[in-house]
Amino acid sequence: MARLSLRDIKKRFKTTDVLHGIDLEIGDREFVVFVGPSGCGKSTLLRLIAGLDPISGGDFFLNDQRMNDVPPSRRGIAMVFQSYALYPHMDVYENMAFGARLMGLTKDEVEKRIADAARMLRLEALLKRKPRELSGGQRQRVAIGRALVRKPEVFLLDEPLSNLDAALRSEVRLEIAKLHRDIGGTMIYVTHDQVEAMTLADKIVVMNAGRIEQVGSPRELYETPANTFVATFIGSPRMTLVDVTRDGEKLAVANGGSIATGALPAGDTFKLGLRPDAVKLHRGHAGDGLTAQVVYTEYLGDNAYVYSRLADGTLVSARTGPNDIYAPDEAVTVTVEPGSAHYFSAEDGRRLTP
Amino acid sequence: MPQLRMTGRGLWITALIVPPLAFVALFIVYPIISAFAYAFFDWQGLKRLDFVGLENFHTVLFVEPYRSWTLNAFKNNVIVFFALMVLQNGLGFILAYALWRELPGARFHRIAVFLPVVLSTIIVAYLFKLFYHPLFGVVNISLKSIGLGWLAQPWLGQSGTALGSIIVAQAWHMVGFPTLVFLAGMQRIPSEILDAVRMETESEWVKITKIVWPLVAPSATIVFTLLFVGAFNWFELPYIMGGLDGSPFGSTDVLGLYFYRTAFGNVSAGQQDFGLGSALAVIIFLFIAVVAGVITTRLRAREIQL
Repeated sequence: MARLSLRDIKKRFKTTDVLHGIDLEIGDREFVVFVGPSGCGKSTLLRLIAGLDPISGGDFFLNDQRMNDVPPSRRGIAMVFQSYALYPHMDVYENMAFGARLMGLTKDEVEKRIADAARMLRLEALLKRKPRELSGGQRQRVAIGRALVRKPEVFLLDEPLSNLDAALRSEVRLEIAKLHRDIGGTMIYVTHDQVEAMTLADKIVVMNAGRIEQVGSPRELYETPANTFVATFIGSPRMTLVDVTRDGEKLAVANGGSIATGALPAGDTFKLGLRPDAVKLHRGHAGDGLTAQVVYTEYLGDNAYVYSRLADGTLVSARTGPNDIYAPDEAVTVTVEPGSAHYFSAEDGRRLTP
Repeated sequence: MPQLRMTGRGLWITALIVPPLAFVALFIVYPIISAFAYAFFDWQGLKRLDFVGLENFHTVLFVEPYRSWTLNAFKNNVIVFFALMVLQNGLGFILAYALWRELPGARFHRIAVFLPVVLSTIIVAYLFKLFYHPLFGVVNISLKSIGLGWLAQPWLGQSGTALGSIIVAQAWHMVGFPTLVFLAGMQRIPSEILDAVRMETESEWVKITKIVWPLVAPSATIVFTLLFVGAFNWFELPYIMGGLDGSPFGSTDVLGLYFYRTAFGNVSAGQQDFGLGSALAVIIFLFIAVVAGVITTRLRAREIQL
């Protein structure tokens, strides 16, 4: 059992406020991913949960026990670091045994736990190796093994894949997902990579500038982003935001035509959010739709992304078939799949519902 | 046959290499070799007499009174080495750890600890000679003023305390050096490794003994080796604070003083013997070279690449 409860958590370094009051509940066995751009405070928040940095304000409870002043080694939390942080003078076995012995476990229990972890992570053949004799992926597994043998209630993972090459990254990502299924602990995972967030998380916490923008399942964040930040952060290529004004049942772009998108929310001006798969392109300037000019095309094999510029200068991305090739500067008309657009307030960027 | 062509480049290289090589040969290699050679001859003042083989070595090692003098000086060097290992390197490690953990005032102390190293040895020696003065030295005055007058004593004037007192002065003088080397070693430890340890224990003792100490092994190699060389070459402080005879009663005599006295004579006993002095110098040199070599290789083996 591990429930985490963060109440109005604040962090200040000297005179700089880094976290401005974080409220978050994390349930038992949940896989939670903190995601956000660099400097948004996600790693800082993780370090506060670990106890590596002191909390400046607010309360952190683990299973209803206040943890603010409990040292990191007594919180029942284990952490996997971005650089793995293996002890370079100890072999793989010693790296895993070090923390387990400090917990006061018997020799047999330590050995058993290491054997279990080594089997689960395929480290049996590497137990006598020093960290510098391991590849990046192997080091990563040792770092996870070191966390596993302590049988913590909560696992913290700080950008664990960012030092791996692309091929290995997706492989280890699958292993981490499997690991979570097998051991069932609560996991908190920090990344700036939205693909990792989308594929691993039960619950994603999107952070920006020291605040939580939205908490939800990957599907919720993608389908109903709470504001323009989340809307543009989740999804690749990112959602296009267009400033539009209402023109009857249609939406008009300055000097660029108008478009029908289905039911509209109340109000006269707002931001229209278009994901690439909601956008349809038609050759030439004809009929209903927004006039645009193709800028460039990205061919990806199974599909292609076409970027074109609207009359007001906004760059719109559209997903097309791999054979729909548009020449640069070609004139196109943009229409939208009815009901697939998002609407946000022009003032504060909050989501508006039709 | 390959021909060495004196092209412009070859001339340049020759012109740049020959002068320093000649300098080193003349002022370093030649004196060392001739010192070796001196040790195999009999001497009368500055006049070289017969070749005597290993006679001089035999005399300083096995013939009284040289034998006792050699052993006494060597014993004192051993004491100096181990005492400084604790006082200078041990304290240096602790100071470095305190500075590295950024305890309050770390910025000030980082400079303060290193400052004495910059001082001239002569200044330090005279300063501590004054500190230890039996009547108006600051050590005895302080002891008296806090009611520990019974501890006041002529620190440099009695056999039991003289060497220890000079060692303390040496440790004060040089403690900044191992501190600096250890501090540099500690600062190379990646911060995530320290975070990883903190996730597993809050015991400073475990952190120091199991993580920090093994990871500063390269620093330890440097300061151990240099301390060994320094301890067995020790000369300036005992020369100024104890005198050329290692007073009182040879209690501060060390190999450096003993060699100097034997080779060049001293005020009280005018005799000088280049042959015996050179033999001593060769023995000291070989001892230091061999042991320092062993220490370095043994300690290197436990160093870890970060």
